[in-house]
Amino acid sequence: MMDKITAFIRKHQTVVLLAVPLVLAGVLISMFGSRLLLDIYTYFCVSLGMVYGLQVFMGNSGILSWTHVGFVGIGAYVTGILVTPPMVKEMGVPNMYPALVDLSLPVVPSILIGALVAAAIAALIGYPLMRLNDFASVITLFATLIVIHVVMTQWDNVTNGPRTFFGLPQWTTWGIALGGALLMLLAAYWFRESGLGLKLRATRDDRYAAAAIGIDMIFTRYLGFVLSALMAGFVGGLWALYITSFSPKSFYMAEMFLLLSMLVIGGSGSVSGATVGAVVVTIAREVLRQVEATINNAHVLSFEVFGLTELVMAVLMVMVLIWRPSGVVGGQELRLPRFGKKKDVPAEVDGLAA
Amino acid sequence: MIDLEFVINTLSLGSLYALLALGLVLVYGILKLVNFAYGEYIMIAGYAIYLSATLLHAPWYLTLLIAVLAAVLVSYLTELIAFRPVRSQSPNALIVTSFAVSVFLQNVVLIMVSPRARPVQLPFFFSRTIEIAGATVPLRNLLVIAVTAVLLVALSLLMKKTVVGMAMRAAADKFTTTRLMGVPANLVISTAFVISGLLAGVASIFWVSRSASVDPLTGAAPLLIAFIAVVTGGMHSTVGAVVGGFVYGLVFNLLSVTLPASMISYRDAFMFALVVVFLLFRPAGIIKRGYTEERVG
Amino acid sequence: MAMLTVENLEASYGAVRALHGISIEVAEGELVALLGVNGVGKSTTLKSIMGVLRPVKGTITFEGQEITNRSPEKIVKRGISLVPEGREIFGTLTVEENLRLGAYVGFKRDRYKADLEEMFELFPILKDRFHQAGGLLSGGEQQMLAIARALMGHPKLIMLDEPSLGLSPAMTDQIFQLIVTLKERGSTILLVEQNAERALEIVDRAYLLANGQIEHAGTAEEIKRKVDVASVYFGDQTDADSCEVSL
Repeated sequence: MMDKITAFIRKHQTVVLLAVPLVLAGVLISMFGSRLLLDIYTYFCVSLGMVYGLQVFMGNSGILSWTHVGFVGIGAYVTGILVTPPMVKEMGVPNMYPALVDLSLPVVPSILIGALVAAAIAALIGYPLMRLNDFASVITLFATLIVIHVVMTQWDNVTNGPRTFFGLPQWTTWGIALGGALLMLLAAYWFRESGLGLKLRATRDDRYAAAAIGIDMIFTRYLGFVLSALMAGFVGGLWALYITSFSPKSFYMAEMFLLLSMLVIGGSGSVSGATVGAVVVTIAREVLRQVEATINNAHVLSFEVFGLTELVMAVLMVMVLIWRPSGVVGGQELRLPRFGKKKDVPAEVDGLAA
Repeated sequence: MIDLEFVINTLSLGSLYALLALGLVLVYGILKLVNFAYGEYIMIAGYAIYLSATLLHAPWYLTLLIAVLAAVLVSYLTELIAFRPVRSQSPNALIVTSFAVSVFLQNVVLIMVSPRARPVQLPFFFSRTIEIAGATVPLRNLLVIAVTAVLLVALSLLMKKTVVGMAMRAAADKFTTTRLMGVPANLVISTAFVISGLLAGVASIFWVSRSASVDPLTGAAPLLIAFIAVVTGGMHSTVGAVVGGFVYGLVFNLLSVTLPASMISYRDAFMFALVVVFLLFRPAGIIKRGYTEERVG
Repeated sequence: MAMLTVENLEASYGAVRALHGISIEVAEGELVALLGVNGVGKSTTLKSIMGVLRPVKGTITFEGQEITNRSPEKIVKRGISLVPEGREIFGTLTVEENLRLGAYVGFKRDRYKADLEEMFELFPILKDRFHQAGGLLSGGEQQMLAIARALMGHPKLIMLDEPSLGLSPAMTDQIFQLIVTLKERGSTILLVEQNAERALEIVDRAYLLANGQIEHAGTAEEIKRKVDVASVYFGDQTDADSCEVSL
């Protein structure tokens, strides 16, 4: 029995290797860290959840998933509408449909519904999108993000238009954020290692060979797309309940760039890559933010430097792409190096560098 | 409401969009790169007009020249510094690089100039209006049609009659084989970026003249237009890009006059929805090409 | 001294090693063949010489100068031309433009005109189709265009990668006849062919590759005598090694 358990853990050691430090960090910070540090950690966990969702589709299919933040936004807005008390909605969103104003549900169902709505929309529009070739799919997914953004910005009656939607309770604690991140980690890992994930990765690595062995590329991509949206919507709800107020701006280019940078720098081919990337980028951003603030406060320069963070992140991204295109982690999942006698374990048939 | 004024305005809008699309497709054809930084070439050209007018007090013809040169320079430099080292990677890596370059350029301008919009002075005659057969048309609309026509002819001549143009067409067809002819890859690609920058610079003049201002995000809208125009027109050919530009202009103007007032703010959403639907039935775009894509590297 | 010397060339595609140490030589005026079944490393060798592929190990020397790891453009300038596998004609360019690009290196207008005339003699069909798009030509015509295109650059060494691939037997005859003609005119040719029997009829020397290595080398006569060529193809070599699936 013990053998089976250790074998299982050894096989899926990646999850353990990633989850344990995550949990440890959370516990330590909550006990000894400052309030600010705990905030950063919580926000980090939520971002991590978003990146996992992104990795599910983009990492395995090789398609740049521009729409991801859009689905995060959809989840956020749905959760917001369902959770915020009617009185607050009446005040905050003056034009809201009365039916929506009266709607009020507990937190957990709201988050789940948010996830489902995002997935439903992805299911609705996703299938034809998966048929497009490389150039067209990049542009179309990009355009879809813009459509989602336009709708969010214009649909006063639901989203309060370009103005801030506020009034959510801050339900997401560090523990809940961590829990959400772990859940997303498991989902992303499971997907990657499952038959479906393997098929999808096959289409990424060599679509003709994949077709030759009978993989329905479009359908496989479609499923990955919908799952990714489900995860995005879910995390969107968690995020909304952490930040308590947001606007369509939060689900657009800047956010997308951030998530993209995490995945690219860490390595889009694996869940480990997503994790490492999120860590690296979060730390880098916090450091840069400090630098920015210091420069501004010290009035060293005659002008204020806003945007230094984004600038440096952009440079970092390009550097990674030049020198280590499959990311810090590379395409494979993190595993402990094997010590001692090599048992007759069948070789891992994993693809070439992502 | 489809009268002469509508036709001229649509032609002028289509011309502008065709310029935008052309600059994008030139680079895509050879490198298979969707250049997200293309919008920023336009933005920087706009800032060049602003800065040369306010800091250098240059006369209008110089500001416009500087704008085009600025776009060419930035385009050339981004290829040299960012795209060339990544060239042998996957197309995704190239796209993400272009996105990063775009963010970089936006923030450079944000830091060094200002996050706030800056007014741009266009030559006085740009806003003059002219009467043609009962239609009142801004002079700049006629100018853009003329300039586009000239540029299209010049570009055609370049591509058809010169060796460089031939090399660029060959590179768009089969990149590696072009190198086997002894044609330096870097020359071909740099030339494409230079021309792309030129087109961006010229387009920028007309784009910016519509709002008479520029801000770090000015490049986003024309970029999107270029994307959509290329994708609907046919991403494999320059003709396709031009056709796409004109078609986009036409659809845009048609939607503007036919959509009810309440839906006007959704016009962009409508446009993209139309594009997506169109692509589902004709993924290759309006102008198809017979050959398959080859990747660089 | 040989014109082209390849020593211990090793090349990979990603993690897959395609060449395990190839050494070949081509002297001036020779017609040499690289033979072997599909996927054995013949094209890889040519691509490595041409600079399209970066070898992992080994040296390539041309006319006394090392050309390993140089870019294709530079190697073309040195005087090596490759007629690629699959022809790789610029389908959207006309025959004229294809030829013009072939003459890119060291272009001289008067010499160009004379060269075109020569090409029309060797390949009359190209004159007829001079202004047609390359993509409209038949397989055989494209092969001729590809060879003509390579010749326009006055190369010292011509490398042909599977010129008979996908061509009818009649067309194949024509192509091989053409290669002989080129040799008689003094060209140095390195030929990669799957059609070993036909190739051995016209070449001076040949190397027989298997699994990324040279199994046999010698004059055409020697190879024909020593090796039962048919068995190489149809599986008398049934040890586990030759069952390896290579790229």
